[in-house]
Amino acid sequence: MVKIQKEIIIRNPQGLHARPSAMFVQIVSKHESIVTLRKGDEEVNGRSIMGILTLGAQFNSSVVITAEGVDAEKVICELEALLKKETPE
Amino acid sequence: MKISDFLDKKAVCADLKSDTKPAVITELVELLLNAGLIDKKNKNKVIDVLMAREELGSTAIGQGIAIPHAKCDAAKELVGCLGISKKGVNFDSLDGELAHIFFLLVAPVDSAGPHLKALAKISRILKDKFIRDSLKTAKDETTIMKIIEQEDIRLAAI
Repeated sequence: MVKIQKEIIIRNPQGLHARPSAMFVQIVSKHESIVTLRKGDEEVNGRSIMGILTLGAQFNSSVVITAEGVDAEKVICELEALLKKETPE
Repeated sequence: MKISDFLDKKAVCADLKSDTKPAVITELVELLLNAGLIDKKNKNKVIDVLMAREELGSTAIGQGIAIPHAKCDAAKELVGCLGISKKGVNFDSLDGELAHIFFLLVAPVDSAGPHLKALAKISRILKDKFIRDSLKTAKDETTIMKIIEQEDIRLAAI
């Protein structure tokens, strides 16, 4: 089983607010891999909007995505594109 | 930041009557107006920005919770209200469940930080199933505020 971990700096000026969090969960739900998102000491399930919102990840903050499964690479790639998008969602 | 920093006890309703998305948003905005947090003349403007935000994607985040929110110059600071629907409202949640707990936020234009912190705080409190159930079954507004204040204290201590 492939397990990938990647640190990403959030570039959305609004931070990881409700809409990008919902989009994050939608991307994860389309894939088979198990995804978690970590900020500091806190790690949350990548399928929970509420979990992601609790991180309160602001612009320029660093988060770590971990994906484990057959499509780990693909899901990380899509999530990275979402978090690095600089246009406000 | 504490929930009670942006939730006025006058802007709480233990028994929302509406059963559609536009109606429940209107009912929640009326809570803000009646509490004097938003000027009455801005009622339609606030409803419009909240509905426009819903068009972009539902703010129902699952597990019976919706957090309609938007920025509007009618708000001079971050203001919020909390309403409970006993029977639930179809709010196009991603998990397909009806929404029972509505936390509505209106932030001034050009404010990103407090908004995000408020969403984080609300999610942190509502992550707990016991709290969600307690809010859903709360008999009145005083009970709701008591739950929120206790959680504020509990989370501040962590």
